[in-house]
Amino acid sequence: MVIFIAELLIYTWSRVQCTQIGYEITQAGGVHQKSITLQNNLKIELAQLKSPERIVKIARDQLGLIMPGPEQTIVMP
Amino acid sequence: MTSTKEKYIKFRILLVAVAFSLFFTAIGLKAAYLQIYQGTWLSQLAADQYEKSLKLSGKRGTIYDRNLTEMAVSIQVTSIAAYPGQIQNRKGAARALAKALKMNHRTLRKKLASHKSFVWIKRQATPREVENVKRLKLKGIGFIPEYNRFYPNKTLAAQAIGFTGIDGNGLEGVEYNYDSYLKGENGNFTQLRDALGHGFVSAGEKLPDYSGSNIQLTIDRTVQYIAERALEETVTKFSANSGIAIVMVPRSGAILAMAHYPLFNPNVFRGFNSNDWRNRAITDPFEPGSTMKIFSAAAAIESGGSSPSTIFFCENGAYRIGKKVVHDLDAYGWLSLQQIIKYSSNIGAIKISEMVGPERLHDTLSDFGFGTKTGIDCPGETTGSLAPYNRWSRMDASAISFGHGISVSPIQLITAVSAIANNGILMKPYLVEAITDRYGRVVHSFEPQKIRRVVSEETARMVSNIMKTVISKGGTGTRAALEGYSVSGKTGTAKKISEEGTYAEGKYVSSFVGYTPVENPEISVLVIIDEPQDKYYGGLVAAPAFRTIARETLNYLNIPPRGGNNQLAVSHQAGSNG
Repeated sequence: MVIFIAELLIYTWSRVQCTQIGYEITQAGGVHQKSITLQNNLKIELAQLKSPERIVKIARDQLGLIMPGPEQTIVMP
Repeated sequence: MTSTKEKYIKFRILLVAVAFSLFFTAIGLKAAYLQIYQGTWLSQLAADQYEKSLKLSGKRGTIYDRNLTEMAVSIQVTSIAAYPGQIQNRKGAARALAKALKMNHRTLRKKLASHKSFVWIKRQATPREVENVKRLKLKGIGFIPEYNRFYPNKTLAAQAIGFTGIDGNGLEGVEYNYDSYLKGENGNFTQLRDALGHGFVSAGEKLPDYSGSNIQLTIDRTVQYIAERALEETVTKFSANSGIAIVMVPRSGAILAMAHYPLFNPNVFRGFNSNDWRNRAITDPFEPGSTMKIFSAAAAIESGGSSPSTIFFCENGAYRIGKKVVHDLDAYGWLSLQQIIKYSSNIGAIKISEMVGPERLHDTLSDFGFGTKTGIDCPGETTGSLAPYNRWSRMDASAISFGHGISVSPIQLITAVSAIANNGILMKPYLVEAITDRYGRVVHSFEPQKIRRVVSEETARMVSNIMKTVISKGGTGTRAALEGYSVSGKTGTAKKISEEGTYAEGKYVSSFVGYTPVENPEISVLVIIDEPQDKYYGGLVAAPAFRTIARETLNYLNIPPRGGNNQLAVSHQAGSNG
């Protein structure tokens, strides 16, 4: 009888654990989805920040850089 | 008495037994009825309470440039819809929605008064709008997740990439051509839910991914930007109608840039003229003018009838063909084949074509790909027009030799010139390098495709050297010259054909096509400017744009100037000649 009750308790405990883990998986899935969305948004932002138009504007207007001519180019040995 | 009492007790026992029997029989019958006859229906009813069917629509694949920078991406947005049958106070709901979404309340009232079971209220609403509507807590309003196409580089390569409609179908460019690869699939997924309706994923289960494949272009975002900026500057400077520039790798046919001006923003494409959406580098034919002399010269050399030093009499600037007289800009007497190209003599080109003959000239032009589609992976490609040689009049043959009476697309022209740069081998131009699956694994890669050998290596080398003289002192293309790099090229100036079918006065197409460095061509560049004002010669209008594009592209690609052998180049001072 004791063994039967112990089995029953263990079975119940494992079912509860299973359900609990199911919830945790669902939550983790949601977090994962949100992270992927955030990552995609950051990728888009990065693509925008690295756009040649923006970089040229900063290089020219803020840093005073220009496109080097052939006489200004050193070929590294 | 006792007997009567016993009988009474027995009767009561019997009564209770019968009652219980009937009761249990009824329960048994009901149980049997529920299990046997209604079992399936009840199981479904129960499943409906703990199972939730999700409709999943796959995300459209991303379009990358050759360096895997995002050019077109899909982002998740929410669309607001209504189920009019479930809304009790439709007028009130319309008023509240109109306020939350800043929409016309009459339009909304009409929508909500509809007999349809489902109507869209606002597709792809902003997060704030969605939040405002959610706060209203209206019954019969649904929030449907969708994907919206977004182009982070805005106008960059817009005509080549194209765009999608509100339902995510490709409408133009690569988006249209590769729609079947890019498009995500739709699917269903059954998820368990608990008593409170919360979604529950059991171990081992995973939401399926129905995303479409990704496309990796041959286009380089930076080269595209260089070409677009140079084009914009030139079109603006000469108050021209429009412009096209293409940068190609001659040995492979890969397109590094396909620039158009005016630009349009595919994120809000409806706000722009629909004529600006078209990829005119592929779809629009034009009369190329003098750039075609390159191919007349190639035909002459390949036929064995002449060499670069063979001389032709250029009739001192005026040559009568039937009733028409063809003029040169300057009066020339005897010119070598090389000089005919260098000075761009129309009469010289006619003399070359007369020596070659119409059949040979036609065959050479056909071999270079004129009159047929290049097969580039873009929609709406034109074949241009090259009539069969047996229909040519003497004037037709003469005009075709210097680029009139024939129409070509920009992509045909640069592909043909790239064949000369590529030692006479014509390559198929292409815009897409690879298709990758949702995990980034390559599912299809596009290798350079050789179409055919057009001219011998020797002929290609001779034509290349002739084209080099165009950039040298006295040539028509000196403004295309690059310090530190050798350039071969050809200018083109052609009168435009009016709607009446005659040549329009004062309307020109200026062009320049060439490649660099001549010894080992890394890039070929074509610039076409439509209807420039004041100046219209290709050497004055298009050649400087070629120079800018070629110089900045070579710099970006780390191709060292003449004399250097190494790949890494750095600038060590900020000079003043930029």
